[in-house]
Formats: sequence, structure tokens, C-alpha cells
Amino acid sequence: MLPYWTPVALSRDLAPLVVMPVVVDGAELALWRSASGRIAAWADRCPHRGMRLSHGFVRGEALSCIYHGWSYAQSGQCQRIPAHPDLEPPEAIRVPVHRAMESGGVIWVALAEPAALPPALAGLVPLRSVTLDAPFDPAAAGLAESGGAWRGTLAGVAVAVLVQPLPENRCVLHVLADGAATPAALVDASRGVETLRRQAEEALA
Amino acid sequence: MTDPIRDEWYPVALVSQLGPEGRDTRLLGEPVRVAWHGGAITVTSGGRSLPSQQRYGHVWACPGTPQRPLFDIPEADQPGRRLVDVGLVRVKCSPLRAVENFLDIAHFPFVHTDILGAEPHTEVGRYDVAIREEVDEVWATKVHFYQPQAAKSAAGGITTEYMYRVPAPTVSILYKTCPPRPGEWDVITLFVQPLDEELCEVWPWMALFDDDTPMTDLIHFQQTIFLQDRSILENQLPHRLPLDPGLEIPTRADLTSVAYRRWLKRRGYTYGAQLVAA
Ligand code: FES
Ligand SMILES: [Fe+2]
Repeated sequence: MLPYWTPVALSRDLAPLVVMPVVVDGAELALWRSASGRIAAWADRCPHRGMRLSHGFVRGEALSCIYHGWSYAQSGQCQRIPAHPDLEPPEAIRVPVHRAMESGGVIWVALAEPAALPPALAGLVPLRSVTLDAPFDPAAAGLAESGGAWRGTLAGVAVAVLVQPLPENRCVLHVLADGAATPAALVDASRGVETLRRQAEEALA
Repeated sequence: MTDPIRDEWYPVALVSQLGPEGRDTRLLGEPVRVAWHGGAITVTSGGRSLPSQQRYGHVWACPGTPQRPLFDIPEADQPGRRLVDVGLVRVKCSPLRAVENFLDIAHFPFVHTDILGAEPHTEVGRYDVAIREEVDEVWATKVHFYQPQAAKSAAGGITTEYMYRVPAPTVSILYKTCPPRPGEWDVITLFVQPLDEELCEVWPWMALFDDDTPMTDLIHFQQTIFLQDRSILENQLPHRLPLDPGLEIPTRADLTSVAYRRWLKRRGYTYGAQLVAA
């Protein structure tokens, strides 16, 4: 387990009442946002019969498993078992919860106590996330490390690239761009991300 | 030496759908061929011919030496029933997970929403579970559940009574009250063919009192249900069924599942199971 924050999604890609699967350090997690906007990152396995919680559904401030509807509060504690409506679920029924936070328009997760805060991303706006079926080669993309992110330009627009490693040498890139760029320039930068992905995957093929 | 896994009977084909080209399939990780031979059906594996028989619409084969006859479903021979060959659904899951899911009613409101169950009718009342030693089968009886549309022939919601029976490790038989024929039970089975420990083909089969519903509707109804179950079965972790307590937490509604796991472990049936909590 690595003691730093891993970027897992752009904040705007996780709307309230949505749950999605994400991978951090090879661990499969269910990332979700409650009705009031709170985020949580949990082990992606229901303690009842092992169903992936990322297939579940959010109601209010709780996440429910799709298999038998057991619902879990923000703390991970089971609060309701629909098969036994009058039963107070035992304390032992609890989903492992991980640290999650939002900063700079990005959602971050850490499996171990992080030594530092996520990088500062002032002046940048979220552009897009893209999955690479290849390792990320920042040098080939003309990007250099600075302040915890890979920085440089794509299609003439200043960008910061955050890397979420996936198993089997794959990764997700979360890309932010200069907040002062025009909408047209942002469209070009977004195409630049696509080109970067294609080049990385072709270099591997 | 007897091997409790190899000595079981498994479904390998539907008689009514076995064409002249036969069927190449797998059983317990080994290639198996089902073919017509001068009007008879034979099952072979690597040049060796396997004990086989035709029953309940299916071809059954045993990779080892059968220790007992194929389980009996007396209702299959009862006059007036329609026998429904539903066909196969391939599921990327442990064969044991597939059986266990079939024994479970608590998921109806969430997985088969507005068909076999609906919120707020989620409560599972007490029912009886036993391992019947004399026949070496798992039985659950007096299971009651509210259903918006219990069967193709049911109009509107009713409380349905069920019995579940596990006569073999990869077979489950469900008896449910039959709306057009009070006093009789509709029979719905799940015959599971283990291809590998984490891949199976399930062959639902039914013996119903229902003269009205077109056959294609009956088949379609069951297929809809099983496709909904598949979306669950392919997403359970670990993929293999944990037989030791600890990794998964059951409640009173899961007594059938608990008895099934205990029975499998006792019989040494571990194909598709996980023994030590990982
Ligand atoms: S597996 Fe999650 S509620 Fe049953
Ligand atoms: Fe089901």
C-alpha cells in the first residue's frame, strides 16, 4: 500500500447518487457520491455474499448492494437488511472504508495514511480522463514532472496530467488544462489527449 | 477410488436440441462429445465412453463411476404437466454459486424487480431447513414470499409458497404453489453443467400445470429471470463459493445457503469452492 493520494476520477464525472468501480494499487474499490455530495471509496465487495458494491445503488446518504439490498451508511456500517426489516444489523457487518478527498476538481483515494496533500492545481480546469491500454511515457508526450503532476502543453494548451496506475501496465490519465484557454483551444487539447493515448498504445503494439 | 466430484451425474445436452452434428462441450475441465449413434446418444471424453442416460429432457453423463442412480423427480411423470426445455445460459461463475443463487429468495425484490419481488415486500419469514440424511439431500420448506408476478400464469401479486431441494451438488429443484391448480406444485429446476471451476452452463427445466401460456412465453419468462441472475453471478467475489464461515456473513434468510455449503463440505464436494478464507 502506497502512502500517497491516487487520482481516481474527475469530480464532475461522479454526480450525486452515482457509484463506479475504480482501482487503486491493484485494489478494487467502489467510489460513490451521496445525494448531499459526499464521496466515499470502499472495498468493492459486499460482506453478505460478495457482490460488487459498484453495481449497487445510492439512496440519500447510503449505498445499497444490488443483490439483497443491504444498505451501508457513510461509515461503512450496515444499517438495514431488507430481508429482516426489524433487525438492527450487528456491528460486525461493515464494509472496509478508505480515505477519499476532493481537491482541484479531482477525486483522490489513499489506502495508507498519505505523507503529503495532493498536488496544487491552481488555475487549471478538468479536461477529461482517458484509459491507456499501455504504460504512460511522459517524455514521449513532451511532459515533465513539476509539483506532483506531469506538465507541459497539448495542442498549444498548458496541461497537467495525473496518472492512476492500473494492473497489467495499463493506466488512467486525468488531464487538467489551463483555465484561461478558450473553449475551442480546450477542444483541441482534448483531441491532443486522444492522440497521446493512440500513440502510447501504438508504441506498444 | 471414488471421487465425489467425478462420480456425480451432470447435464451435458438437451435431447430435443441435439442435432445430427452432436455437441462438443466440457465437463470438469475436460472435453466431452455428445453425439447420436444409430438412434442412441453417446457421451465420450478423450476416446473413453462415459456412463450416460436421458432424463428430464436432458442427456446426463458421469465422468467417473456413478455411486447412485440419478435423483428422482416424481412430478416429471405426472400426467397433465407441460415439460419445458428452457435451453442453456452460459455463466462465468462457479457452478456452486449458480446453485446457491437459485436457492435464494431474498434477492427477488432487487434483482427480479416487479416480477418475482418488489419493495417494500422484502421480508423473508422463518422457514425450515434440513439435511435429510436418509436421502442425503438438502431441503428448505415453508418458504413464503410476496410476489408481484410469481409465474407467467399469475395475474397480480400473491404470496407464494416454495420448497427447495438440492438432490445433487450442482442441481436444485424448486417447488412453488401453482396458481391454476391449488394443492399442486409447479416444478422448476436448475441443472448446472460445470465446465470449469469458474465457468458453467445452466439448464433450467420446468414441469408445470399451465395449459394456456404459449411455450415461447414460458421459455422467455425463465430466460429473462436467469439473465438477471447472471448479472449478479458474474460479479461475486471471490469467484469460488467460500465453504468455510468467516468471509461472508449470512443471516436467518440464508439458512438454505448455509446448509448447502455445510453439506457440500461434508461430502467433499469442492469443485468451484474455496476452502480457506482468503
Ligand atoms: S451480497 Fe450484498 S446484500 Fe447480499
Ligand atoms: Fe434469481
